[in-house]
Amino acid sequence: MLITYPHMGTLAIVLKALFIGLGRPVLNPPPITKRTMELGTKYSPETVCLPFKVTLGNFIEALEQGADTLVTCGGVGPCRLGYYGEVQKGILEQLGYKFEMIVIEPDIVDVIKQLRKVAYQRSLREIYHAFSVAGAKMNALDTIEQNLTVLRPYETRLADGLWQQAVQAIDEAESISEIHNIVEDTVFQIGRNQCSDHKPLRIGLVGEIYVMLEPFVNQDLVRVLGTMGVEVHKTMYLSDYVRGHLLRKREYLDKYEELFALAKPYLGHYVGGHGLKSIGHTIAMSQENYDGIIQVYPFTCMPEVIAKNILPKVSKDMNIPVLSLVYDEQSGEAGVMTRLEAFIDLLKSRKRFGKVKGL
Amino acid sequence: MGIRVGIPRCLLFYQYGAIWEKFLGELGAEVLVSGDTTRQIMDAGGELDEVCLPVKVAFGHVHELADKVDYLFLPRMISVAEGQYTCPKIIGMSDLLRTNMAGLPAIIDVDVNLRQKKRNLYKAINEIGKIFNKGPLASFYAWHKAKQNQRKVTVAALAGRRVALIGHPYIIHDRQISMDVIKRLHKLNFNVFTPEMIASRDAEQAAKAIGKRIFWSYSHHMAGAALAYMKPGKLVDGIIFMTSFSCGPDAITAEIVSQHAHSNGLPYMLLTVDEHTAEAGFVTRIEAFTDMLNRRCALC
Repeated sequence: MLITYPHMGTLAIVLKALFIGLGRPVLNPPPITKRTMELGTKYSPETVCLPFKVTLGNFIEALEQGADTLVTCGGVGPCRLGYYGEVQKGILEQLGYKFEMIVIEPDIVDVIKQLRKVAYQRSLREIYHAFSVAGAKMNALDTIEQNLTVLRPYETRLADGLWQQAVQAIDEAESISEIHNIVEDTVFQIGRNQCSDHKPLRIGLVGEIYVMLEPFVNQDLVRVLGTMGVEVHKTMYLSDYVRGHLLRKREYLDKYEELFALAKPYLGHYVGGHGLKSIGHTIAMSQENYDGIIQVYPFTCMPEVIAKNILPKVSKDMNIPVLSLVYDEQSGEAGVMTRLEAFIDLLKSRKRFGKVKGL
Repeated sequence: MGIRVGIPRCLLFYQYGAIWEKFLGELGAEVLVSGDTTRQIMDAGGELDEVCLPVKVAFGHVHELADKVDYLFLPRMISVAEGQYTCPKIIGMSDLLRTNMAGLPAIIDVDVNLRQKKRNLYKAINEIGKIFNKGPLASFYAWHKAKQNQRKVTVAALAGRRVALIGHPYIIHDRQISMDVIKRLHKLNFNVFTPEMIASRDAEQAAKAIGKRIFWSYSHHMAGAALAYMKPGKLVDGIIFMTSFSCGPDAITAEIVSQHAHSNGLPYMLLTVDEHTAEAGFVTRIEAFTDMLNRRCALC
């Protein structure tokens, strides 16, 4: 049993820690490249969303290297993500690969049941430990990334360096205390280099989670904006997803209710994925004096398409500029850059001349 | 004069229109249904980005009705079966309209959500009744009477080859969107079988062959019906899956149907339409597919 899983930002580090802790060998899928995207696109339905294609590419490349157990997530709809596993399984079987697929439904009981299958000889104590370490790594990575947001606009190089260092150290760390030390160290370094009189543009990033978290797919959006001197606040991290959707923590459910109440005048019901949250966050962030909002999502993503068609009205009412960026396998770098530059110019002049209504 | 209520001839109208019309009539409303889709109606929705063609067409229909009625009837059909949803775009339809179209009459977009409890249907009926000043009993009675009006699909078996045309009713039965594909197939001497000719119980049964239950009700039925047509006994000679570009659920459903058609050795074609689809290319593809079916069947 050689386990593999798709890439999504730092997800691979977390899952690697989890499965190794459960006593299983893992194979990290090769990093996403043009080839991954091409392989995935070739065997996917034409109009399916980009995450489907890229994760299928991940699986193919991992199977080529000898993986035989694929771990992926399920869902209850209406977003298509919940059905990825079933269709990808069919495609890979028709391609002649031999493998087993473990689909983890977003339900804590099912997660435990599936993982008992993977870790059948492990004691509860060991399983608990594996989960703790993986959880600690996930939280550590997200904490560091969040702290880096404020440093990046004026210390891009340093921020990159610190990030790479931290990622590698966390990946190699074996105990929770070690992980805590890395976080403490990195956060200290970040704090030491911060300058307080700097007031960069602040942009909120809303939209679909996969495109938001996977730098290869979003063409390193957070970094690119950082080099342009912009502070980018992601509205979603991996840990939010796990705590909100899997563990269903009270604070996240409350936060969701809050966002739903904000979005209600524009969108009266949950439409799957993060469509409702995109609208809610846009309103919340306009009240928190952000300079602009960027919405990212894969082409044909159903929930975000609805949000995208509603956001112009929200943008007008709340007087906050919103830029929607749609990604697919054809996305070119230059086109996105041009749009980003134009958007940043707009935000800068708004900041300089005051927020004129309708600008 | 009673309250005038408009029902756009789009999306779920093709499934529930007859019931809705009767129901509103029973409640004392004067019901106005928009006409067949035309080229103008289709173009009116062009201001929306990236949505599928049926949603754009729905915009056009609402446009048609907007200044003629007091209310628009577009119930928010969130779920029609336990554990399933309809489609995100159908769920968000009334919000898309409100934020993108000026001068709209009030929209009756009562939530219909049977995902957890079937009883919620009566909640919705009651809420609609209230708009027309009807008590719960009168509303339920109106619904009860309207339900008898459900369209029965009759299947007439004719000579000739048989092809299954799988697609959302609002695509294959809208003659503008589907480019009148059913009539074209009839002209080519093919009998056309659509998903609604399969009883939901049979579709449900056939859909068990799919590993995970599809969580979009209509796609679930479509896939189930397609699988029912594929059953041994050769109910049909080939399968055409018709979808509109950027339809989310269909991207998945079509792939599942295609995989099963492949393993059952049944010819399968995916027809994608959008507002730019040209007639000539469309006709060529249908003819090529039917020619192939004719030749294939002549051999066996």
